Amino acid sequence: MSATPIEFLGAVKQYGSKKIGPVDFSVEKGQILGFLGPNGSGKTTCIRMLLGLSKPSDGKVKLRGYDPIKKHVEALTGVGYSSELPNIQTFLTPREVTELAAAEIGLKSPGEEVKRVLNETGIIQYADTKVGKLSKGMVQRLSVAQAMIGNPSVMVLDEPMIGLDPAGTAHLREVLRAFAKDGGTILMSSHMMSEVEDLCSTVAFIHSGKLLFRGTPKEMVEKMLGGNTVRIEARGLTPPLVESIKGLAGVVGVEEIPGGLSINVRPGVEVRPALAKMIANSGSELLTMAEGERMLEKAYIEALKSGGAKAD
Amino acid sequence: MAVPRPTRIAAFAAYEVRRALARKKVIAIAAFTVILVTAPYFILSTLGPSDVPASLFPFVWVVGAIAPFNLFIQLIGILIAAGAMSEEYEAGTAELLLSKPVSRTEFFVGKYLGGYFLLAVMITLDVGLSIVSASLTYGPQMGLETVPGLLVVEILASALFYSVAFTLGELVRRSSLAYILASAFVVSSQFIGTFLVIAYEITGKALYQTIHVYLPTTVAGSIPTQFEQPLLPSTAGRVFSLILGPSAGVPSQATAAAIVAAYFVVAMAISLGYFRWADVSRRVN
Repeated sequence: MSATPIEFLGAVKQYGSKKIGPVDFSVEKGQILGFLGPNGSGKTTCIRMLLGLSKPSDGKVKLRGYDPIKKHVEALTGVGYSSELPNIQTFLTPREVTELAAAEIGLKSPGEEVKRVLNETGIIQYADTKVGKLSKGMVQRLSVAQAMIGNPSVMVLDEPMIGLDPAGTAHLREVLRAFAKDGGTILMSSHMMSEVEDLCSTVAFIHSGKLLFRGTPKEMVEKMLGGNTVRIEARGLTPPLVESIKGLAGVVGVEEIPGGLSINVRPGVEVRPALAKMIANSGSELLTMAEGERMLEKAYIEALKSGGAKAD
Repeated sequence: MAVPRPTRIAAFAAYEVRRALARKKVIAIAAFTVILVTAPYFILSTLGPSDVPASLFPFVWVVGAIAPFNLFIQLIGILIAAGAMSEEYEAGTAELLLSKPVSRTEFFVGKYLGGYFLLAVMITLDVGLSIVSASLTYGPQMGLETVPGLLVVEILASALFYSVAFTLGELVRRSSLAYILASAFVVSSQFIGTFLVIAYEITGKALYQTIHVYLPTTVAGSIPTQFEQPLLPSTAGRVFSLILGPSAGVPSQATAAAIVAAYFVVAMAISLGYFRWADVSRRVN
């Protein structure tokens, strides 16, 4: 596939007086893009335009290089979609749902493929139970399973982690990571910032129908919080050492957290080598050091607080 | 526009049959059909065997095969058709099904044919039960060689209200509203027909007769009778007059067929056109 897998080219959707867009961004092959924004910001509308379920009022959307409205079959070939509320037929079993998906994409002998996706998503043991009798988490897994039928090259996932237990979340994370590693492209909307941080190489932030930010999670954190954060876990931290860290060039703030420190750093400044050296020289014991981790949620909340102004 | 692929259409048709059967409404109506078609034969033969002239015994199957067609079968068709598209929107499943590499035409045609197939099965069930019940209660039945033709004719004639209900389901995208509108269409046509017959009987004005002749219920309802009556001996004529009741006339077979075809074409053009043009509705929460 040579075309850019996902492209929004000034796409606009007008619902009466409400306007979503113009939205401009693309997702390249092998990327996992986290599509962020509060409820009602326009994420699902954008996803619906991408899948050819809703026509843009203006601008264009391209999926695998094709217009998903005019060339729906071509655009959607090799694309899997899992919806926000798994809208799955309750009278079918997971096996039947995936078989139907296989029939839709034209698989002639879907038996092995159905087994594979049900197995990979961990619901093979419920293959013949009616969807209506499954837990929310299992239905969510099934939604992802039917999206994976036929080894798609692009997956569009609307809140894929909702309803999953921690084991299910971890399992799905691995499935998606493996998918991207094999060259698959994912657009994933989510409110779970920790998952976005863990999985996504890029994020796009939409607010009140406007796309306000597109970049890496680290760039979003730097933009929203005015810098980056380095978290350390250490034993034997002393007040003089903390004061010395505060004095390091580029450090704008230090916050004590259980077992360590959260250090705010100016954008583009690398403090980790100096920090490690300083801790070692003080006789304290550095256990872990991570940059920018778990800060996306703060950045996201900051972006919401500013009504998107900071992200703009 | 890409050419619709038969395998995808067949997959959607099979899915629609499964979906319609999963709804308890359709199962209930099937059970009701069994009772409605069989019970009168057994009750009548037990309570008043002498009420039916012996000369009509071999043709009583015709009553159950044709009489329910005008209203009951049409209502079954509406029940199946009105929800075919609208219930997919309400459940949000249309989004999932149409997010695959399938064309909207394939989805639309598959859904239409799946429901129509189910209606054809119900019509066959109705006719089959009539023959079995009549045979068990009034002895061997005659003219059964006409049954395949009658089935084809009834199935084709049922396309009128089925198509209208299917279209209403697509346009309003709310199943309950679509059922109400489609049922109102049938029942209104039936009522208006009755009033027009009365008006014609009283006044003798040809206008009332003309309007009556072209009413959808008159058109659809007249086709099976017009097909079957000439094929049976004249002794069976009384059975038909019982089925038809008072009438201000019916269109010719060719006209009736043309009107059914016209309803079908217009309804399909509107609903397919709208379905291909409009956004896929989001789930109703």
